[in-house]
Amino acid sequence: MNAPPAGGHSDIHEYLEEFEDIPGTRVYTAARARKGYHLNQFAMSLMKPENRKRWKENERAYLDEWPMTEEQKQAVLARDYNRLLDLGGNIYFLAKVFSTDGLSFVQAVSTMTGMGVEEYQAMMNAGGRSPNGVRSIKGKR
Amino acid sequence: MARITAGVATSHVPLLGVAVDQGKTGDAYFKPIFDGYEWTKRWEAEQKPDVIVLVYNDHASAFDMKIIPTFAIGCGERYKPADEGWGPRPVPEVIGHPDLAWHIAQSLILDDFDMTIINEMDVDHGLTVPLSMMFGTPAAWPVKIIPIAVNVVTYPVPSGNRCWLLGEAIRRAVQSFPEDLNVQVWGTGGMSHQLQGPRAGLINAEWDNSFLDGMIGESDALRNIPHIEYLRETGSEGIEMVMWLIMRGALGRKTRCLHRHYHVPCSNTAIGHLVLEPAE
Repeated sequence: MNAPPAGGHSDIHEYLEEFEDIPGTRVYTAARARKGYHLNQFAMSLMKPENRKRWKENERAYLDEWPMTEEQKQAVLARDYNRLLDLGGNIYFLAKVFSTDGLSFVQAVSTMTGMGVEEYQAMMNAGGRSPNGVRSIKGKR
Repeated sequence: MARITAGVATSHVPLLGVAVDQGKTGDAYFKPIFDGYEWTKRWEAEQKPDVIVLVYNDHASAFDMKIIPTFAIGCGERYKPADEGWGPRPVPEVIGHPDLAWHIAQSLILDDFDMTIINEMDVDHGLTVPLSMMFGTPAAWPVKIIPIAVNVVTYPVPSGNRCWLLGEAIRRAVQSFPEDLNVQVWGTGGMSHQLQGPRAGLINAEWDNSFLDGMIGESDALRNIPHIEYLRETGSEGIEMVMWLIMRGALGRKTRCLHRHYHVPCSNTAIGHLVLEPAE
């Protein structure tokens, strides 16, 4: 039998299962990429100034041009980024939405943590969030 | 013959580009970060490399979800700074080195790395921020660039070991190019950061520093770190550090550290920076 590749995995199922054991984290797997395809492509479209203009004029009408689920559209309108991660959004794509809103990464990212932006920024300036206790759900470490 | 003379690793946080473009690098928040690059700026000015093989990842700028290349190499003549949603960075165009790039691309494919070839694309902060950190604000970049774009966004991303092996293959390819060129390999991204979910803001200075230690000397232990360890220990975006291993693999069996810098935070991210040279 061949040894598994160094640093790699021989079993995709085990590989993917481990990702679900990280608290407060949505790893951007193929399954999420499929679910969020149109959501992410919509977000990508905001890279173009002419699209940003139309989006700002009427967000709902702009969203209706995309074959996204109603749930995805509602989460975009609500700027509910944790929900958008669950619905297949990827942060680098969602960044086009919050950049269009004039938000920085720190401002937008803080909304996912349950902290206010000042509190979040103070945590970052004090060295960031410790990995202790948030490495593994099962392992409680 | 062309030779790889050094490797540089650096984070590529977009806010650093904003600081450079808006003249804020001396502000209290940014000064401790930029001070750690002063040594390297002087060193690069002395070294005068001809070409940099610059390993980075695109952040939904040139590539969207339509096409996701695992490893791609830029063989074009020139690349424009990307408009990432607030207009392109006011930095010079990036000039490629198609002769060496195509030589590396062909050599890698023969060496079992199935590269995607890019002839035209815009390059985002992942590529232009490291140039600003090392060269400041010149009218033209003083070096030619061969972009190597790595998928570190959609899983599975390449393993650390595969990245290391790609670095070794890049070294062989460069060394078989007949022109006498001084080539550096840069690995960018990282260090610990998580930009998503309730766990956002994670920083792991202890792990980051042991990773910096591991880049120096002759250990190749870093190549065997599994993805799950990066995710648990360094946040969901810390995985970018696999790109540093392409640089490390390209430097050969053993490295010597010329310069090292670490600072928390910049935006949501731990800044790490290394200058290494092959030690044999």
